[in-house]
Amino acid sequence: MFRLLSKKMRRWRPSSSDNQTQAKQNGSPKYLSQNLEGNLQILREALGQSSDVIIRDMKINSNSKADAAVIYIDGLVDRNLVNHDILQPLMFNLQVIKDNVKERHSSLIDYIKSSVLTVGQISDTKDIDTVISGVLLGNTAVLAEGVTQALLIDTKGWETRNIEEPSNEVSIRGPKDSFTETLRTNTALLRRRIRDPRLTFQSLQIGERSKTDVAVAYIKGITPDNLISEINQRLERIDTDAILDIGYIEQFIEDSPLSLFPTVGITQRPDVVAAKILEGRAAILVDGSPMALTMPFLFMEGFQNQEDYYARPFFSSSIRWLRLLGFILSIYLPGTFVSLTAFHPELFPTQLLVSVAAAREGIPFPVAVEALLMLSLFEILREAGLRMPRSLGPAVSIVGALVIGQAAVSAGLVGAPMVIVVATTAIASFLVVPYADAGALLRFIMTVVAGFLGLFGMVIIQLEILSNMAALRSLGVPYLSPVSPLNLCGLKDTFLRAPLWAMDSRPEFLDSPDKRRQSPGQMPRVPQTKPNKREGQ
Amino acid sequence: MFLEKGRISNFQLSVLIIGFVLGSSVIISPGGEGAGHDAWIACALGLMEGLLIAWIFTALTKLFKDKTLIEINSLVYGKILGNGISLLFIGYLFHLSALVLTNYGQFFKLQIYPATPKTLSLLLLMLVCASTVNRGIEVLARCSLILVPIIILVVFTDTLLLIPHIDLNNLMPVLDAPIGKLLLASHGAASFPFAETVAFLMVLAFVDKPEKGPAAVSRGLLIAGFILIMAVARNVAVLGQMAEITNYPTYLVAQVIDIGDILTRLHVLVAISLITMGFIKISVLFYGTVLGLAQVFNLRSYRPIILPVGILMVILALTNVGNTQEMFDFVNKGYPIYAIPFQIGIPLITLVVAKLRRLPQKGELDA
Amino acid sequence: MKREKRIKIYVAILLTIMPGFLSGCWDSHELNTLSIVSGLGWDIDQDTGEVTLTYQSIIPSEIESSSSSNEGGGQKGGNPLRAIQLDQDTGASPYEVLSRYAQHASRIPFYEHTQVYIFGKDGVQRGIYPFLDTQARNPVSRPNALMVVSAEKTASDILGVQDGMENIQAFGMAAEIKLSATFSKFPAVTVLQFQNRLLSKTTAPIAPMVGIFEQTGREGKKTQKIRVVGTAVFKGDRMIGELNERESSGLLWAINEIKIGFVTIPEANLEIVKAKSKIVPELQGDQVKITIEIDQESNLVQYNGHQGITADLVQELEKGQAKEIESQVRAAVEKSFDLEADVFGFGDAVHRKYKKEWKELKPRWDDIYPCIEVVIKAKTHINEIGEINQALIKD
Repeated sequence: MFRLLSKKMRRWRPSSSDNQTQAKQNGSPKYLSQNLEGNLQILREALGQSSDVIIRDMKINSNSKADAAVIYIDGLVDRNLVNHDILQPLMFNLQVIKDNVKERHSSLIDYIKSSVLTVGQISDTKDIDTVISGVLLGNTAVLAEGVTQALLIDTKGWETRNIEEPSNEVSIRGPKDSFTETLRTNTALLRRRIRDPRLTFQSLQIGERSKTDVAVAYIKGITPDNLISEINQRLERIDTDAILDIGYIEQFIEDSPLSLFPTVGITQRPDVVAAKILEGRAAILVDGSPMALTMPFLFMEGFQNQEDYYARPFFSSSIRWLRLLGFILSIYLPGTFVSLTAFHPELFPTQLLVSVAAAREGIPFPVAVEALLMLSLFEILREAGLRMPRSLGPAVSIVGALVIGQAAVSAGLVGAPMVIVVATTAIASFLVVPYADAGALLRFIMTVVAGFLGLFGMVIIQLEILSNMAALRSLGVPYLSPVSPLNLCGLKDTFLRAPLWAMDSRPEFLDSPDKRRQSPGQMPRVPQTKPNKREGQ
Repeated sequence: MFLEKGRISNFQLSVLIIGFVLGSSVIISPGGEGAGHDAWIACALGLMEGLLIAWIFTALTKLFKDKTLIEINSLVYGKILGNGISLLFIGYLFHLSALVLTNYGQFFKLQIYPATPKTLSLLLLMLVCASTVNRGIEVLARCSLILVPIIILVVFTDTLLLIPHIDLNNLMPVLDAPIGKLLLASHGAASFPFAETVAFLMVLAFVDKPEKGPAAVSRGLLIAGFILIMAVARNVAVLGQMAEITNYPTYLVAQVIDIGDILTRLHVLVAISLITMGFIKISVLFYGTVLGLAQVFNLRSYRPIILPVGILMVILALTNVGNTQEMFDFVNKGYPIYAIPFQIGIPLITLVVAKLRRLPQKGELDA
Repeated sequence: MKREKRIKIYVAILLTIMPGFLSGCWDSHELNTLSIVSGLGWDIDQDTGEVTLTYQSIIPSEIESSSSSNEGGGQKGGNPLRAIQLDQDTGASPYEVLSRYAQHASRIPFYEHTQVYIFGKDGVQRGIYPFLDTQARNPVSRPNALMVVSAEKTASDILGVQDGMENIQAFGMAAEIKLSATFSKFPAVTVLQFQNRLLSKTTAPIAPMVGIFEQTGREGKKTQKIRVVGTAVFKGDRMIGELNERESSGLLWAINEIKIGFVTIPEANLEIVKAKSKIVPELQGDQVKITIEIDQESNLVQYNGHQGITADLVQELEKGQAKEIESQVRAAVEKSFDLEADVFGFGDAVHRKYKKEWKELKPRWDDIYPCIEVVIKAKTHINEIGEINQALIKD
């Protein structure tokens, strides 16, 4: 029976032959010819006759035929740049160009490239594919009659979102800028924070059709080299149609595709990325996505928040513990409540038991079903709240509160203690953002298992999950570091947040070649000054 | 050594040993039968005997670094005899593992979940251990690093909460039990659980600094021993003479906890958190069994045999004993004698023979 | 192929475990199928040995506090007098009765919250061994539950009394017993303590006795209340006698269970602050001598005389206190000699100190016991004398 199933599955899998190579074999020329019109024709066809492809021909030599053309895609280019710095120099200085070309015996293209166009980035190519992809990226191509080279000028200037406050990771004390969808802006945000010349961005293009720019950011000398080469290897292995979002990259290169927990960190904030790079990690930025990946990512990082470092240590440490507590609550509370109610009522203090028992009189469902019902309802509400058009937001929250809170209890569908349990769980689950999804799944699993086997089942499943987590590695670093394997230095930043002046070296488990972060012994002390002569009297 | 590529640190080894020794001893108190309220003294004496036995088998591993007992046996006795002895040892590990499962199964069926069939609870416990063994010794060590401190915390909290109920008079008079019975009980405590650390002969090969291995073992044994002695003494101090009568003193003691009517009836919580120690002990023994089998039969990897061995283990655990009394009889009377050849015999004789044959010779160290 | 085989194995395992989950959870009991038993009363018929069990269980819906029942209509409010219900059952042995109840009641009894075990006076004189064995052997309820003997004829009499202030009568009774132990009047004995006394072959188990008092309230309305009235003394599993209030106090003094309370002497009333006692055994040849050393600190809370408080007066009061304590303890000792029951644990004390000799003495303990020479030494110290240092009415 299984063989039949797997054979059928095999038939559905598409053949891995490359679609692209077939297109290339259609016999289109690879290089530009000297005939401008011919070139333009090829380019027009290749670019698909779209209305946003602008081909602007000009006359440089005053003949009847056009002898130069500028190709760009409207919407991708900065029109001012094209008009003032490309078209204007070309069209206003016709005579000068002509004379100079004749005088200096240099080719038209070379002269234009070196002395006419007042633009920053410019390159030339003979290859048609390069021209096409260049234009699609937002460059402007300049072609001329009789010349087999084309110039590609970087004129990227599309509409982009302003740098706004991060929507998902709010900060009170810290900076309030977040990444946008443009790679250049993001790299700039990082550069502004790390002005070290050794901050390196390695660029790749991934995605057959999307040709998305992907940049790997790291500090040479701090990030271990084998980390970078491993990341590069994984990125180069990706062979897909398009990278639409950084999530695609995450799913292709992560260490734990089948595990509940992420082994790659995602963040929206440049200060977070900068801090992580400075500790010895590497970051991946993708054009088109306002998020960045950081690798390696360990379990304990989910409990770290950038706010912890901007506030003072005692408060931050307490908040860390609160987060840990919230995380534990959000996973175990419904399951524990279910197992106590159904299997171990003796664990309730007697008065509480009486109240819970009273609440459960007349409820038609077993407590496990009731819990799962409430949890599902909560997840539905949460998802609906996310996707709902903004205008309906308030309505949903009112309806949600009314329906679930009041009416269900009055109707006798669920008990009041259950509502409290689920509400607490729900709120606690937002304390630790990276694990909100994993936590939701875990919560469900725990509740189901609790319904079947009570606390024993929960412990068994917990052991299994622990075992799973202990086996995970993120880019070679064990997932549960620094708790296990034990790394006392690393513990400074997990359950506590040691004061900044105590964190002298980078985390050991990241294996950075340059461990020293700051000079030791910088705890602020009251300076010993000579007593003021006037005070004693 | 391609069967196991992982390496564990000495610290992890110590913690693993603590978890292992605490294993089923938190359910079945060591040194119980016959010593009466001197059970804690029996436990202490047993600890000393256990340390001695540990000294013997760690001497063996010091001689043959990076080698598990199977390989050592092959070197010392030659392939055929060595494999025969190894199979006996593996049988002991397997049986012990099933015994631990039996202990837990009986306890659970009796006290926590009377209506759930033992098969299910044992099967689930075995499956978790199996999946951890599947992932290798490193993962097991990492898990224990998290679990053991939690359990130590639980045991200490347990003790703290019982302070109002402790009556030191219950421990007196000291050395009341007849010496003969005391010594027997202490040997019982040695064979269960302290000398069971002989199972680590299969694990010590993977420590990253083999020279410090014996110290780590002693450290783990001492810490676990102190915790057990404290627990046994506390049980007697709180329960008085009921401690001898009852089958599961730690469980009964947990029932006595009563602080402000909120922290009461915590016995179930205590019992269930103690499963985690059983998890560690069974996983170590399980690991030793499958690794040993793989080495004896020259398999490429021990992974495929994990499940079959596990299922056999559960079957053995279910059919082992007819009732709790048989189990306790065996633990108290039969096991201390049955275990001697494995805990003391094999390591000691192998050590002696190895020394006589002046092994290891230089070439054999890198097999 | 290899991957398919693995999939096959996983599915096979899954299919094996699943029925375990699907067939229902054996140990899961919905809360509304449980009846929470707060107190158990055991009556054993003198002649036939038949066991009658009285359950007092809690009805949760009647306990509802006023706040939540507002929308459901006023009827749902908690009625304290109906918060518990009593059921009775009879059988030949304790376990039979326990399981019988489970067969024909609508709910499964849940004993983990039981706080009180009451024994009817008749049954107790016949011997409660069947009960004790059932309790120790079966993990039914906690060792912290209190053992109580009913001063009325049966246990069900006590369990039926509705006190009015407490919703759940058994809990109220347990609280009262614990309070009387705190106030050093009568001992509170848990099942564990009872078992330990039983196991020690020389010490006699004890348990507080509870009786019904009638009280005339307003408009002549008679209400019944539960009071702790004495200490029952057992030999083995049978009750052989009781200690009255004074003797019970003496007992508590001797076994170091005095917590707070009062010592009343003709001249004054003193509040106990701290008290410690030690039983010191001495073996003189064949004669056992026990010295009970009591150390006490107290505050003067009421002075009956008209003198000013001087150091001499304080000393006198201390002496008076010591005498009173000693006489209480003496009363307890005499009664225990009468009953030939070692309620103090003198045997165990001798055992602890004289390991070797004990082996010889133990079998003869019953004979030796009444001949023990008991010396009681009480030392008291008055800490505070209060706010005034002169009498209000001077001589």
